[in-house]
Amino acid sequence: MSTATNIPAATRFSLLRKPAVARAARLLLAALAALLLVSILLELLGADALTALQAIVEGALGAPFSLGQTVMIASILVLTGIAAAVPFTARLFNVGAEGQLYAGAIAATAVGFQFPHLPSAVHVPLLLAAGIAGGALWAAIPGLMKAYMNANEVIVSLMLTFIATLLAEYATTGIWPSGLATNTDPLPGNALLPTVSASTDITLGAPLAVVAVLLTWLLMNRGTLGFQIRATGFNAHASELNGLPVKRIQVLAFTIGGAAAGLAGAILVAGIQDSLIAGGAAGFGFLGIAVALVARLSATWMIPSAFLFAVLQVGSNSLQVKAGISPSMGAVIVGVFVIALLALGAIRLGTDGAK
Amino acid sequence: MTATDDAVPEAPAVAPEDAHGTIRMEGITKRYGALVANDGIDFDVASGEVHALLGENGAGKSTLMGIMFGLLTPDAGRIVHGGREVRFASPADALRRGIGMVHQHFMLVPTLTVAENVVIGSRPSHDMRFRRRELEAAVGEVAERHNLHVDPRAYVRDLSVEDQQRVEIVRLLYRGANTLILDEPTAALGSAQVKVLLATLKQLQASGRSIVIVTHKLDEVMAIADRATVLKGGRNAASLERSAFEQRAFTQAMFDAMPDPVPHERHIALDAAPRIAIEGLTVASSTGRPALRGLDLELRPGEIVGLAGVAGNGQTELLDAIAGVAHVESGTIAVDGADIVSQRPLERRERGIRVIPEDRHDAGLVLEMTVAENLALTMVPAGEASRHGLLRRREIRAHAEQLLERFDVRPGDPDRRVHELSGGNQQKVVVARELSGAPRVVIASCPTRGLDISAAASIHRQIESAAADGCAVLVISPDLDEVLALADRVAVIFEGRIVHDVPREQASSEAIGLAMVGQAPGAAATAAADRSATHPTTSNG
Repeated sequence: MSTATNIPAATRFSLLRKPAVARAARLLLAALAALLLVSILLELLGADALTALQAIVEGALGAPFSLGQTVMIASILVLTGIAAAVPFTARLFNVGAEGQLYAGAIAATAVGFQFPHLPSAVHVPLLLAAGIAGGALWAAIPGLMKAYMNANEVIVSLMLTFIATLLAEYATTGIWPSGLATNTDPLPGNALLPTVSASTDITLGAPLAVVAVLLTWLLMNRGTLGFQIRATGFNAHASELNGLPVKRIQVLAFTIGGAAAGLAGAILVAGIQDSLIAGGAAGFGFLGIAVALVARLSATWMIPSAFLFAVLQVGSNSLQVKAGISPSMGAVIVGVFVIALLALGAIRLGTDGAK
Repeated sequence: MTATDDAVPEAPAVAPEDAHGTIRMEGITKRYGALVANDGIDFDVASGEVHALLGENGAGKSTLMGIMFGLLTPDAGRIVHGGREVRFASPADALRRGIGMVHQHFMLVPTLTVAENVVIGSRPSHDMRFRRRELEAAVGEVAERHNLHVDPRAYVRDLSVEDQQRVEIVRLLYRGANTLILDEPTAALGSAQVKVLLATLKQLQASGRSIVIVTHKLDEVMAIADRATVLKGGRNAASLERSAFEQRAFTQAMFDAMPDPVPHERHIALDAAPRIAIEGLTVASSTGRPALRGLDLELRPGEIVGLAGVAGNGQTELLDAIAGVAHVESGTIAVDGADIVSQRPLERRERGIRVIPEDRHDAGLVLEMTVAENLALTMVPAGEASRHGLLRRREIRAHAEQLLERFDVRPGDPDRRVHELSGGNQQKVVVARELSGAPRVVIASCPTRGLDISAAASIHRQIESAAADGCAVLVISPDLDEVLALADRVAVIFEGRIVHDVPREQASSEAIGLAMVGQAPGAAATAAADRSATHPTTSNG
């Protein structure tokens, strides 16, 4: 649905002239409006807005460790953004990326503990594959129920999120108990994703997220399946009359989204938290919806969009120390930003312009 | 602002019968941009009469009725009600003067009860008392008084279509309507239910109310109307008293005279095996009521058959059933002898079945995608435009460029998004996709709708050339001119069956017009009409 990605390259250049500029302008305007609103809010709370915003940026990017954290959370958000964007393009509302992330995390954890003596070169790919499969299967349920039973995919994917969240809790206490109620023991070292940059704790998860973006771009813009997902999303009736297997495409779109979320789950347990933590997803699955909308479902825009949200997420931890206000202001800022974008039409659900 | 405030006394003396509600519409004109929907129409309803309003789709009936019940304001002309000139600000305003409408698609709230639906919006806002029991009794009393049996406490969502229609009528009566306008009230009813409805209307008439019935069906007009007005192209075409009711008079007024048969150069092997043979096809519409009721139709290779009929008689469902997107309850569709009913849409397309749907925006095109992508819609799932799961973009583009040239689409830019094209060129994109690649059966619904003459002619030439290559073409159109311009044979669809089927040379506009309004000609007319169980016809005019 994004102007930039859904059409062949030749068109993109001619379109770049206007819609993309207009879009950038709208984004900028929305960012400024959000900044203004947030500043007013911060001043009302008795904090200095400039100090607070500075605290966020420094808190997210200022030190190697926090920069690494920001990059890793951005990687998770890129993947949950894809989990929302691919089904959205088929006009299916996957709000269950959080649950699909947990499903992937649980599957990855199982592989991690099940084969403690595998060499890393086998164990890590196996664990990642398990995560992808777990998320894909969890997403296939709402996809199948939508396509073949006409169930509401929003409700089904949301309800499955609650189930997966509770399953993760059960896994930490019932399947792989560690004595601590909220998390399992650390995964065996061979199961953990290798570190890419030791000083920042950036692991293989970050380059994997970039690979996922490239693959998604390829799928959606050059692949036959992406073509059919787009056609189905824009006009399912015409697609069906033209012989597209609409139901199968719907299931696949949902499943691909779930695979991305499942990969995020595997990266979370084996590349960030080193163990399965109940509540460890911390809303990253839901935040992926905002990431996808700000990126207007475009795979390439997913990276800056996710990075922006990751900065806000990580940076707001230093609000308490540096500006004397609650870190939950970070969540408020995210909310205000998304609302400002929506209000200014920088992001739109469903049809993108045209129809 | 109410009509009463607005009403100005009329200068001439008031005729006594006008006192209780004769409505006279004089010189009503309504324009939508360049389109004149109503062009100086005169229409009147005398107190206590049943007046039928007839005309083809687009003749101006809905606009005229919209003006009569206060939804639309005319650009010119006046409405005289009960001897005074009135102007209606809204449907509520018209209802206060006793004029109400029962829409074809009911305006009821499914989650409320019958009684609630009847009073909804009618109580003044300052009267906050809402005594359920009293209300239900009052609504029940109005219903029973007019023999409209319906339980005031029932929820509308649980009611059948006929019961819902009764609720609509009760609603108008409860609010004191003296003039009831019914828009195609029998469209959703079975024949037994139609009888009940007509009896109800008779009864309402006997109680002194006036009724305007908008319809396509001559049966109903003959059965209950005292007078009939026929519109054509936004003007009065005929006004008939009951004594002058005659089938010919109606159809001549409704439909244009038929152009002379044009000799074709095409030669159709009359003894050839049918390219497509449809037998006993039964399909339910999206609302669940039967849309096709055992339809039989055969097309030979190279034959163009025109399917005439008033919209809504099963045309859409026929196209969907052949394309493979409608649920077929029974019957067969054989293409070159093989039944395709169980095949998926893609298999059918690969077999050479193509459809040009009536609504290009809803069913023909993906407006947000490019011209090239739209032209490749079927190629992609069929695997013709891909390698290893990736699109062969150069081939898709080359394919598009070739078709754009051949079908003269302007601009001939394959990368332009379809919604940027004019309507005529959008239609050409659909036609180009459907007629390219050796089609064997083409179902074309209104293939030239909204196109200018030259664009229409070029699409007609493309259809003829496809037929010349042995393709069987079914042209579905409510526009008789289009049907007759192309067809080798003319069939008429009415209530989900073919009721008339004749070679072009033997086609007469009278017989076709009659068949379109449910008066199938004698069984002797064609063998085909024999085959399809003809709709029972009555004429008591």
